[in-house]
Amino acid sequence: MSVHPEKEKWEAAASKLMKGKSPDVLNWKTPEGITVKPLYTAEDLEGLDATNTLPGFAPYVRGPMATMYAGRPWTIRQYAGFSTAKESNEFYRKNLAAGQKGLSVAFDLATHRGYDSDHPRVAGDIGKAGVAIDSVEDMKILFDGIPLDEMSVSMTMNGAVIPILAGYIVAAEEQGVKHEQLQGTIQNDILKEYLTRNTYIYPPEPSMRIISDIMSFCSKEMPKYNTISISGYHMMEAGANSVLQTAFTLADGVEYVRAALKSGMDVDTFAPRLSFFFGIGMNFFMDIAMLRAARLLWHRLMSQFNPKNPKSSMLRTHCQTSGWSLTEQDPYNNVIRTTLEAMSAVLGGTQSLHTNSFDEAIGLPTDFSARIARNTQIIIQEESQVCKVVDPLGGSYYIESLTQAIVDEAQKIIDEVEELGGMAKAIESGMPKMRVEESAARKQARIDQGLDVIVGVNKYKLANEKIDFEVREVPATVRDEQVARLKEIKASRNPIAVEKALTDLTNAAKNGGNLLEAALPAVRARATLGEISDAMESVFGRFTATTRCISGAYASEYSDKNKEVIDAIRKRCDNFLEKTGRRPRMLVTKMGQDGHDRGIKVIASSYADLGFDVDISPMFQTPAEAAKMAVENDVHIVGASSLAAGHKTLVPALIEELKKLGADDIIVVAGGVIPPGDYDYLYDKGVKAVFGPGTPIPESADKTLQLIEKKYIQ
Amino acid sequence: MQIDIEPYIEGVQAGNRLLLARTITLIESTLPAHQQAARSIVDRLLPKTGNSVRLGITGVPGAGKSTFIESFGTMLTSMGHKVAVLAIDPSSTRSGGSILGDKTRMEKLSVDPNAFIRPSPSSGNLGGVARKTREVMLACEAAGFDVIIIETVGVGQSETTVASMVDFFMVLMIAGAGDELQGIKKGVLEVADTIVINKADGDNVLRAESAQKEYQAALHLLMPQSPHWNPPVLTCSSLKSTGLDNIWQTILDHRNKLTACGELAEKRRSQTLDWMSFLVNEGLRDWFYSLDQVKNTLPLLRKRVEAEQISPTAAAAELLSILEQEKN
Repeated sequence: MSVHPEKEKWEAAASKLMKGKSPDVLNWKTPEGITVKPLYTAEDLEGLDATNTLPGFAPYVRGPMATMYAGRPWTIRQYAGFSTAKESNEFYRKNLAAGQKGLSVAFDLATHRGYDSDHPRVAGDIGKAGVAIDSVEDMKILFDGIPLDEMSVSMTMNGAVIPILAGYIVAAEEQGVKHEQLQGTIQNDILKEYLTRNTYIYPPEPSMRIISDIMSFCSKEMPKYNTISISGYHMMEAGANSVLQTAFTLADGVEYVRAALKSGMDVDTFAPRLSFFFGIGMNFFMDIAMLRAARLLWHRLMSQFNPKNPKSSMLRTHCQTSGWSLTEQDPYNNVIRTTLEAMSAVLGGTQSLHTNSFDEAIGLPTDFSARIARNTQIIIQEESQVCKVVDPLGGSYYIESLTQAIVDEAQKIIDEVEELGGMAKAIESGMPKMRVEESAARKQARIDQGLDVIVGVNKYKLANEKIDFEVREVPATVRDEQVARLKEIKASRNPIAVEKALTDLTNAAKNGGNLLEAALPAVRARATLGEISDAMESVFGRFTATTRCISGAYASEYSDKNKEVIDAIRKRCDNFLEKTGRRPRMLVTKMGQDGHDRGIKVIASSYADLGFDVDISPMFQTPAEAAKMAVENDVHIVGASSLAAGHKTLVPALIEELKKLGADDIIVVAGGVIPPGDYDYLYDKGVKAVFGPGTPIPESADKTLQLIEKKYIQ
Repeated sequence: MQIDIEPYIEGVQAGNRLLLARTITLIESTLPAHQQAARSIVDRLLPKTGNSVRLGITGVPGAGKSTFIESFGTMLTSMGHKVAVLAIDPSSTRSGGSILGDKTRMEKLSVDPNAFIRPSPSSGNLGGVARKTREVMLACEAAGFDVIIIETVGVGQSETTVASMVDFFMVLMIAGAGDELQGIKKGVLEVADTIVINKADGDNVLRAESAQKEYQAALHLLMPQSPHWNPPVLTCSSLKSTGLDNIWQTILDHRNKLTACGELAEKRRSQTLDWMSFLVNEGLRDWFYSLDQVKNTLPLLRKRVEAEQISPTAAAAELLSILEQEKN
């Protein structure tokens, strides 16, 4: 069949409805560069790579399992963790009792970066964005009363994978659970850390070795354990569109396969244990098609390694709804956003799912918001009847066509990556990072112009925002508790045994030997996470990121109609230069161990487009370091970005440090995930403005400029 | 508005970071009042200047300049030196704004108490910032920094300007980017006191060594600037911190040799004189173009030249004749 026999009639009818215009004007060019038409017909199914295939069979477009949710629904796996191991454990147990099926542990940033809670660099991070773990004693408390032989445990850990995975194994041993009984997933996806999230410790080369060591150990000792979760989620959160997310995630996957093959493993021993993790955003159909396309592409990509086991080229994935799509404004709307995203993941055929709590743009989930998030999934599973049919959208003209479009576009990018020599080399070249950042800057520009609608943010705004629910806050005493327990552990263990185990680990790092295996005795001897991490760092070194920043993308996304806003700010910057002898100069900085740098990158790039001189600090600054930089660069203003609940300690500390250097005239503003309830606290401490999530760039730039103008132009 | 320059002078001499930074801001300012204050400050600081090793570093984007300075600078501070880094950032956008990201690649050095790093936006005018860099360098010397590193990207004209204000000029290269001299102009190689092949680590070592030979051969074809110095080609890895001590030793050798024969002092003297004539030229040009009559006449003349109503020579002569009138 070719063109629909009555297509012309439809075109005429459509044209009539649109006062004579061709229906082509309804075509929509998505951020991925795909042209979406207003109508799809059977014609669009012609020549596609895979239509009318079966679930459970290659190329798995319709799902990796034959029966999918008709047989068993996806696993409701809520990612959580905060404060101490004890508090997180109580939270987990409550959730498991209320219908959650698997555990997913969030660690705090100090743990991610291999620091014990008493390390001076991490004072503002303890227990904030996840649970603080310093030793196996914390691990044991975390899983207290949770049988590790039955419970599948997912752990989001990439930097400190060795001490954490070893800690989990030893905690299980001490529960009487054998290695081979353990089931779950460790994220262990270091490549994307260099690309977006920045919670790495070591340079790429030793990090890739650690991954191979874990794969090798687990293929022998823990056959039910997923040794890696190759993650696109963080790329999406950093601003990648769906094609970029698919391409870079699968390219990462290929790189891990090559690393494992290079270390001498057979493809079928580890490939079936590779799992994926995709982020699902608000483009409903796009992300359904994305999951289908990813499965097809993975099957295609894996065929080059000639696996014998079909499971080796079967993409299984966890999904999470987008945290970035959540708004601080009118936050109950987030329940609806999360529901739509969850539906998208379900119709795309995910194996497990995390739904965000509606309050995550404001603070950590509470019992109440966690319940709503969990029930979102339970209602889809148990009330809506969507589970009854496998891949219900299979055969849809639009979905099938869109699936193919993503396959084609992603393949092009994967080819580019291959030309650069694979993902590790591509990351070194900076290409993927630049693409993601460009995509983020363009998205921000579309939002700021109202082209991408966000209800409550750039349309249908509330006149008065009011928070009428509880916001969870982690008390600063968590650090004291952790430090006290560290002291206790260090006093009660056998120092000679610890010393020996750590030396053995350092030797393994130096001379070869499986690092996970070598870390187990150290964990058993009660060496701390920081000590174990240091034992390897002494050989591997600590990685320093190369930060590049794009320019021009933000402004170029502005249509001529909306350019006025930009031009007005540019003019004020020019005027400021004329009056004061230089441009408004701003330092954007991230303090603490929070590596989410999408925000400061977008700010830096767009403010430069608006006429500011923008300094960017290295990642992971202490307040004193940020103050030194502000002084040396002699900026007018410092913008501190905080997404990990460190704002109440770190931002006031920065103001203090500036004072110490005699630079209390430097203005400080803050932005990021900051609960509105904390604004007054920050103002009291001397912060001049706070920009919550969703603040349009021109609005924050205007406010920032006003502050500087008021001070320097009489 | 009168600026009290005394606190600046005292502050800089006492090594106060804040006042050094603010002095630099005055130097870089486009306001005449600031510039005048800056001139007086630098003048007063002059007796305290001249005691540093002045290094210029250039290289194409991607050669790893910032990472090199991170490793090299950290090595120097650990040897007890006080290091100031002046980075000229060309990343200006159409808006006139810029992104100054050098310090993100200098994580250790930027927090080092014995280091001072100041990135400067070029605002689309590399020559303009470079002009001020010399005075900034003097301020840093007066503040007690004994190694000054001036970093500039090797694609504009700024590098020759930088070469004319330092004792030792280094061109950073990477192997495997082709033998087409990586977009670096021949003129830059002519003023280089050494070429360093960076990123000589891992599977790149062999390529770096073969690039070393190629550049050595290429340099032999050029006339050395000094009879006492043949620019060597070195390799290093900023990542693994190898070859850095050798580079520092080479810089010291250069210094010793050129000091012994008096060439260094001569070089600095002639740099100062060149600097003066450069400033005179600049000043003349700025003054000339600021004349009302020039401002009025120039656009008309340009139009006539474009329309071929007058020859460029005649137009230039007519414009310059304004000088004659000014004389009277």
